[in-house]
Amino acid sequence: MSIRVKGRIISKGTAEGEALVCTQPIGFNFGVNLKTGVVTEHNHQLEGVSIKDKILIFPYGKGSTGGSYVVYALAKYNTGPKAMINLNTETIIAVGAIMGKVPVMDHLEKDPFDIIENGDYVKVNAVDGYIEIIKKGDN
Amino acid sequence: MLLTDIEKGMLRGEQGEPVKVAMEILVALGEIYGADKLIPVKSAHCAGLSLKSHGTAGMEWAEDMAKKGGKVRIPTTMNVVGIDRSRDLKLPKEWVSHQQRIEDAYEAMGCYGTSSCVPYYYGFLPQKGEHVAWAESSAVVFVNSVLGARDNREGGPSAWAAGITGLTPNYGLHLDENRIGDTLFDVQVNIKSITDYGALGNYVGKLTGEKIPVFANLGHPTTDELVYFGSALASAGGVALFHAIGITPEAPTLEDAFKGRKYETVVITEKELAQGYKNLNSAKSRDVDYVALGCPHFSLNQIKEVSDLLMGKHVKDGVTLWIHTNMAIKAMAKQFGYMDIIEEAGGILTQDLCTILGTPESLGVHTLATNSPKMAFYAPGSNGFDVWYGDEYKCIQAALTGKWKD
Repeated sequence: MSIRVKGRIISKGTAEGEALVCTQPIGFNFGVNLKTGVVTEHNHQLEGVSIKDKILIFPYGKGSTGGSYVVYALAKYNTGPKAMINLNTETIIAVGAIMGKVPVMDHLEKDPFDIIENGDYVKVNAVDGYIEIIKKGDN
Repeated sequence: MLLTDIEKGMLRGEQGEPVKVAMEILVALGEIYGADKLIPVKSAHCAGLSLKSHGTAGMEWAEDMAKKGGKVRIPTTMNVVGIDRSRDLKLPKEWVSHQQRIEDAYEAMGCYGTSSCVPYYYGFLPQKGEHVAWAESSAVVFVNSVLGARDNREGGPSAWAAGITGLTPNYGLHLDENRIGDTLFDVQVNIKSITDYGALGNYVGKLTGEKIPVFANLGHPTTDELVYFGSALASAGGVALFHAIGITPEAPTLEDAFKGRKYETVVITEKELAQGYKNLNSAKSRDVDYVALGCPHFSLNQIKEVSDLLMGKHVKDGVTLWIHTNMAIKAMAKQFGYMDIIEEAGGILTQDLCTILGTPESLGVHTLATNSPKMAFYAPGSNGFDVWYGDEYKCIQAALTGKWKD
């Protein structure tokens, strides 16, 4: 059984995969290793964790505009997330995702932190503007 | 957001991929910021071009856009980079080569390789009310505040997108209602120098974040002082616009600055100014091995002041002295003999680069002395330096003796 939730499209495309949920903002510039997709920011909730191939859920991006080029590079080298879901996407993530053609959505009808957990299977449809969640128990 | 038929066509790819990517960026930003439409802009200024910000990934992206025929359609200048193209500063070879490739890619797209943060000093001077899309926080705050032009605090790619399309989303500081002051800062302390303006800007910037500060009793700042003041506000905070009553064009009076809106007043005294200085000084050891001036890039007059202080003297062995400016001002400094005086004294007058976005740390230096409030603010993080902040005379003395003296 899947839950379908509408949202706003920031960067077009479709992708699906395992959810990785982070309640802290993520700073890609000097915060994520380009070659491995592992978060490097000291004391971060995801420090040491790989975001590669995940559907990455986090509130918004932070840090300097160089982060856009990092998001682009992660997409180019296939070391980054397959899609991203934010509460409020800001410009660094938006621009990097567009450059790297990574689907991004925000402003979901329901709070993603209430309905998505680590390990859930999530389909992001940033063409028609909705996501589908298959809870890990149901797989 | 309402797009015209031509804009929709650009978004569909009818004018090629670089235009399509640029439009996607502008439309996404317009959505995020609630813009009603796109508007034309007269010029663009691309920042984030240093290898430090762009990275080799960004370099590959820029080369890809250039290869696919990306071309700017409005005058588009380039911000500082991490190298001086006119000489060998003994920076790491790979750094130099990658940085050069970024510059080449943007120039291939028709951008002017002026590589400087002060385009308004060499012929790119927007008029009051003129809509532009400039990045580089110190330039944004200058054109908005001192010239009364209309500019949002663009990021590198969004300024590039504006250059490629000639458009920007109609939000933020392009609109009258978003240019009204938030808080009044009543300056009740004597501001005596450019370094005082820098310390004041740092203190208020930190307090005010992204709001619009209004200043009363700011004195009679010169243009150079307004450049440094704005750069401090924009680096310590996120200020993109300030008003100075009786000085800046949108605030001839207090009423013009606030347009009837209620505001709080903060009084600035000796104490607040001293805190600004304290914020900008992080060094413990008085041994100085790197003196860097010119952030933002020095004007001709600022270069002359430094050359006067260096005339007939010599920089101490073991101290590196860099004075940053751009190709245009450097040409004048060379013509009028100031560059020779500086370089005979053992200093280097650089073009294109700056300390923060360059890599002087690769020369092995640790303790910086500067009169730049922006450089002093960033250098601990961007270069790993300990910093002494003070006026030009103290900085040049540090270059001549290797020691910081208050």
